[in-house]
Amino acid sequence: MSFMKELTKGIIKENPTFVIVLGMCPTLATSTSVNNAIGMGLAATFVLICSNIFISLIKNITPDKIRIPVYVIVIAAFVSIVDMSMAAYLPALHKSLGLFIPLIVVNCIIMGRAEAYANKNNVINSIADGIGMGLGFTLALCLVATIREILGNGTWLNIRVMPETYDPMLITLLAPGAFITLGLLMGLMNMLKEKK
Amino acid sequence: MKIFLQLGLILLAFCVVATALLAYVNSITKPQIDSIQQKEAEETRRKLIPDSDFEEIQGEFTYYIAKDSKTGEVKGYVFTAEKNGYNGPVKTMAAVDKDYNIIAINVIQQTETPGLGTNSTQPKFTDQFKGKTVEQLIVDKDGGVPPNCIKAITGATITTRAVTNSLKESIEMLKTQVQTKNITPNETGAKEEVNK
Repeated sequence: MSFMKELTKGIIKENPTFVIVLGMCPTLATSTSVNNAIGMGLAATFVLICSNIFISLIKNITPDKIRIPVYVIVIAAFVSIVDMSMAAYLPALHKSLGLFIPLIVVNCIIMGRAEAYANKNNVINSIADGIGMGLGFTLALCLVATIREILGNGTWLNIRVMPETYDPMLITLLAPGAFITLGLLMGLMNMLKEKK
Repeated sequence: MKIFLQLGLILLAFCVVATALLAYVNSITKPQIDSIQQKEAEETRRKLIPDSDFEEIQGEFTYYIAKDSKTGEVKGYVFTAEKNGYNGPVKTMAAVDKDYNIIAINVIQQTETPGLGTNSTQPKFTDQFKGKTVEQLIVDKDGGVPPNCIKAITGATITTRAVTNSLKESIEMLKTQVQTKNITPNETGAKEEVNK
């Protein structure tokens, strides 16, 4: 019961992008196409689950006063190890996801979940939280990317959906377009919530 | 005072473990990653000049001599050109024939604006370089006369300039390198004769 609840809360109720508004930098950078959004979302989910497990395991031996620097060290080291092993043994995957790995180090969702959740809860719940938050992040990225890619490039997942004569709205692909799209989506979500 | 020392030592312990782990992973993955990168570069070279063997010439300006895999005849040269674009370095791998006319180019690394500068990787842009001479490597916005120039990508003149000018500079460097190299073997040959 509680496992499922921890898992689903990240998807809508505490969505990291739309509700907690964390990880805006990678959101802007990778929501230009659905392809990128899926790649970034999955890579971040993987790192999030692993870092949650790790932080939850060491929560009793980390002194409270220096927990933040410890998280930074753990996450940075972990991400670097993932990056190096992926480049060496899964070169094809690294080619499509490798671009996002350095962005994950500075992704504050991971830091945020370590601080707000994993250091207070047990390993099982932390895994659920990681999966839920990761999926919520992936879905949010895909939603923003769908709007930006269709309007800005006339395609979805590299498949042309707009007629050839459609003149792409380039601004949606640039940073201001990301903010406008995000703002409108957040407004829409709040409106739906209030109606309930 | 004692507590600070204690916290500092704990943090130090975390750093030591993390660094040791990273060093270990790096030592295992480094050779693997290097060989993958070399293979990739080799594949790109083969795409640019098919059916050739490549000989690396290291020096101030590193380039490759492409020889026909059957006859051994020199077909041309392959090199990598680099210059800053709008958002960072733009790397282009290019092949030229013996008269330094461009055979084909491939933009291998760039971080330009999605939807604008990133179009530089597409064949629509790179194909126009085929057959161009050094003199024709000038962007139309800089006074080039069509069709003897490079047509700038709409909204990405800076990226176009980076690719075009880096190629131009690199071909000039290649020319001097090849010429000096053609002199050197003769000199050593002469010396050998003296020694005999």
